[in-house]
Amino acid sequence: MRHAFETMGTVASLHLDGPVPASLIEAVENVFADYDAEFSLYRSDSPLSAIGDGRLRLTDAPARVIREYERALDWNRRTTGWFSPHRPDGVLDLSGTIKAVAIGDAVELLASAGGSGLLGVGGDVAAIGTGIHRIGVVDPRDRGRVLADPVLDARRAIATSGSAERGDHIWSSLGRTDILQATVLADDIVTADAVATAIVAAGTAHCGDLLDALPVDALIVSAEGLSATPGWPRVAS
Amino acid sequence: MSARATVGGAVVSGAILALGWIAGAAMPAATTATVATGTGTSGSSSGSASGSTGSSSSGSGSASSGTGSSATSGSTTATTGATDGTYTGSSVSTRFGDVQVQVTISGGAITDVTAVHLTDHDGKSVQISNRAAPILAQEVLSAQSANVQMVSGATYTSRAYLESLQSALDQAGF
Repeated sequence: MRHAFETMGTVASLHLDGPVPASLIEAVENVFADYDAEFSLYRSDSPLSAIGDGRLRLTDAPARVIREYERALDWNRRTTGWFSPHRPDGVLDLSGTIKAVAIGDAVELLASAGGSGLLGVGGDVAAIGTGIHRIGVVDPRDRGRVLADPVLDARRAIATSGSAERGDHIWSSLGRTDILQATVLADDIVTADAVATAIVAAGTAHCGDLLDALPVDALIVSAEGLSATPGWPRVAS
Repeated sequence: MSARATVGGAVVSGAILALGWIAGAAMPAATTATVATGTGTSGSSSGSASGSTGSSSSGSGSASSGTGSSATSGSTTATTGATDGTYTGSSVSTRFGDVQVQVTISGGAITDVTAVHLTDHDGKSVQISNRAAPILAQEVLSAQSANVQMVSGATYTSRAYLESLQSALDQAGF
């Protein structure tokens, strides 16, 4: 069965191999709605908005906000600073990890109910269950085309970050990045998402050090063309 | 249906990309340089390779002493006049296993870099770096690309979704 729903300013696409009860779909939608209510900066009543404009101290925030801040800081450390939960103006913005965290929770929920298939949200895709799935990577220079078609096999999640679609999505101390798009295959969607963002922020000059230290595969599009890590799936010749 | 057509078109753009890569392809020398700087730890192994220059070529001491300072400051620079020969660095332990590199210098320039020891702790061959290297477009796009089940791309807005490839896939039902 297929189901698409709007959340977090984008659209979630759920492809399941068989039928599932409507209550399970509702539970999945609620996973996203709950995170959005707590972490959205587009909702003035969210704790993150209250922290952002000084109405709430971070130390007084709900436990899940503090936990997710810790997770984002951990990714800041693991990417040697290239992934950051802080906007340039200082406002705490956890949207960089929350969407992926929600995908991870939803995938776990679906898998524990015996579901299998794929969950994609705004360009991030995670496998549910153990099946093998072919994923298309959008060509950033022509979004109607597929640039690569890796298979989710051992790696269970894929995320793409770009410098073109949302100019404000990637903050880099370098200013403008020279990477158009980075796609990362990883064991889990949070890793894939955080590393894809970090690669774009790091640019071609610094992303090598990042990749050397992290268990991921990556496909990068820059003005120079395509580049890939040794483990990125190659077409059999 | 339209998604299927555009996916097929990507093969054409892949071919154009491939030509672009060949036109701007890195020279072999540049490729070996990439290997030399490919990992953070290989820097230290090339350092030890120049160290072994001093010890192993003690017989030609006068020649090597003349270039001694420049050899240590930059053994990969062609203009320093490094002594020709093949040098083997000491084994360096990396995240991927033990790595040992052999460098061949001819006419004062590095002409070859070979990994002489690349094993992990199980004794299997391993990659020495996880860095991204240039790749041809057709190497990452298979003949099955029309059968992709979902699409990964930079985050789209709800409005952009309607024009996206993912939207086409969701509606097409394949």
